[in-house]
Amino acid sequence: MKLMVSVKRVVDYNVRIQVKPDGSGVVTDGVKMSMNPFDEIAMEEALRIKEAGNAEEIIAVTIGEQKAQEQLRTALAMGADRAIHVEVDEDIQPLTAARVLKALADKEQPGMVLLGKQAIDDDQGQTGQMLAALWDRPQATFASKVDLDGQKAKVTREVDAGLETIEVDLPAVVTTDLRLNEPRYVKLPDIMKAKKKPIDTTSLADLGVEAAPGLKVTNTAPPPERQGGKKVESVDELVSELKNRGLI
Amino acid sequence: MIEWSESQQSIRQMVRDFVEKEIVPGLDEIEYNGVPPYDILRKMIRTFGMDELARQNFDKQIARDRAVEAGEVSEQPQADKGGSGAGGERAAMTLIPIIELSRHAQGLVTAMGVSMGLTGGAIMSKGTIEQKERWALDLLTLDKVGAWAISEPNAGSDAFGQMKTLARRDGEGGYIINGNKTWITNGPFADTIVLICKLDEDGVAPEDRKIVSFILDSGMPGLEQSKPFKKMGIGSSPTGELFLKDVHAGPERLLGGSEAGYGRSGAKSTFMQERAGVAAMALGMVERALELSVGYANERVQFGRAIGDNQLVQLKLAKMEVARVNLQNMVFRYIETMAEGRQMTLAEASAMKLYAAQTAMEVATEAVQVHGGYGYMRESRVEQLMRDAKILQIYAGTDEMQVIAIARDLRQRAGT
Ligand SMILES: Cc1cc2nc3c(=O)[nH]c(=O)nc-3n(C[C@H](O)[C@H](O)[C@H](O)COP(=O)(O)OP(=O)(O)OC[C@H]3O[C@@H](n4cnc5c(N)ncnc54)[C@H](O)[C@@H]3O)c2cc1C
Repeated sequence: MKLMVSVKRVVDYNVRIQVKPDGSGVVTDGVKMSMNPFDEIAMEEALRIKEAGNAEEIIAVTIGEQKAQEQLRTALAMGADRAIHVEVDEDIQPLTAARVLKALADKEQPGMVLLGKQAIDDDQGQTGQMLAALWDRPQATFASKVDLDGQKAKVTREVDAGLETIEVDLPAVVTTDLRLNEPRYVKLPDIMKAKKKPIDTTSLADLGVEAAPGLKVTNTAPPPERQGGKKVESVDELVSELKNRGLI
Repeated sequence: MIEWSESQQSIRQMVRDFVEKEIVPGLDEIEYNGVPPYDILRKMIRTFGMDELARQNFDKQIARDRAVEAGEVSEQPQADKGGSGAGGERAAMTLIPIIELSRHAQGLVTAMGVSMGLTGGAIMSKGTIEQKERWALDLLTLDKVGAWAISEPNAGSDAFGQMKTLARRDGEGGYIINGNKTWITNGPFADTIVLICKLDEDGVAPEDRKIVSFILDSGMPGLEQSKPFKKMGIGSSPTGELFLKDVHAGPERLLGGSEAGYGRSGAKSTFMQERAGVAAMALGMVERALELSVGYANERVQFGRAIGDNQLVQLKLAKMEVARVNLQNMVFRYIETMAEGRQMTLAEASAMKLYAAQTAMEVATEAVQVHGGYGYMRESRVEQLMRDAKILQIYAGTDEMQVIAIARDLRQRAGT
């Protein structure tokens, strides 16, 4: 079985995000970028599935600018066998990403496509679900545990009400939640070796995919600055303060 | 090189995560309570496959040595001539863990560096193939702990001049060694010791004695290793004494396989390596001191405003930033030099070491000042940076000795 893992280049989670003065987006120039943390978890899960003898090959996929190859190199250093770079300079919307992954799934025929449950840049959290619909395969989203059993996978999902365990037929789409695993540290020699692993470059046109211009970002603004708090002496005072502010 | 590459940045982040998660929580036990640093260092080395890298490089070097021995290739080191850049990548991968560890405990770097870099490095650069295979590989992976011993109670800056540890030929190809060494990093726990001493020959005046070096094993009859000293800083680097009483060393222990195998020039080239490492240590310490100081300057309020609103405090922060940028540029320059397969001159390495040591000390002292009374408390962590920084001005050649080396080189080049 092949596993396909999608990885996205995003602003590193340690970076204090700054909004561009004209509101057209966030500053990325000179900012540390890295692999979306949920995708790292997806990569790690794929590695564990392969190491347990349940898969033969891991293909890492990214959709994005030239520099996104850095994230593919990280995936290759973690242990992916090969990588596909779908080179696109514009911002990618979830539907476009899902179409690309569908086209690649048709081509590669993976037994499972693993994605992060969302990317920490715009937190959309839709790509996996859209892919399942386009591909017409089962989905197991927000996974916190994945067990393979022949042609099925038993997946524990983190849902609002708690944990839910479902069984899906393979091939299936799995999106990963935070508690699924703790990604490994990459070994330095593997970083060197990753430089020699193959990356195929392709494009939307090559894949016959049309970009989905359904969404338009009209403005990006920082959240309002937090106002200083106020200490109250008693419950009564608290209640009246809240009332005064129209909060209760 | 003007910035770490993206992949180097992600390595830094990864090593930083490891240090914060795996090392920092147990650090006080190592720094202050006598727990040796080697196990946690080994864990780091294995986690990042630094042992695997060392093994790969070792195998390459041995294969090359054998080819040289068989006369198939020339003696010239092939090191990335023409600048394939691999040497630079290797240098960066060695320096990044040094920088990241130094943010929290420079002593860990000293212990690791002396074992892998100095002791393992000395054997790799001058040892015979047999000596490399028998002793060096285990040092390069830190499976074994190494010490490199030149200093003596009466022989510090003038190590070669005042050295009293003597080896006498035993008449059967071997040697009998007597003397003692002090302030030896890893001395208390070393499995393998590179010992630099003098050859006591009949008819040779003390001042004309040759420098010879031996590879000794812990537990050899007559070799005693002291307990660790109590020190001002770098508690995570055990330092001790070695006592040698009629230690018998066979000819296979003579470093380089002959009495000329590792003398003054060998020891000097070892110094040089050490000096480049100091810039990386200083960079880690200065980065951390600056981060902590900026944080405190923003947070601490006196006279109704953040202390960072005062120009006197701002000046300190600005000077720290200048120091950080300079040190980073030195580290980048070192990486570039390695990438081109070039060697630094001794004077250049000395200049780097002098600046790095003085700067780390100044910055750490100012960081304590910015933190005021809190800075004097262990909890602040800046007081440790200050104590740890001081050693950079003393070992691997004092500041004064670096000045002498730089000036001598300048004057020689000017033809005086
Ligand atoms: C923590 C620690 C770890 C160490 N690890 C090792 C190790 O692993 N292996 C090893 O062999 N050694 C080690 N050393 C020893 C270290 O290398 C020496 O301490 C150092 O070389 C200085 O020698 P000294 O202490 O005898 O000082 P001295 O040489 O006695 O110097 C005292 C002062 O006089 C100054 N001075 C001396 N001569 C001159 C001159 N000609 N002109 C101007 N000023 C001068 C010095 O700069 C210094 O300020 C270590 C020391 C310490 C503290």
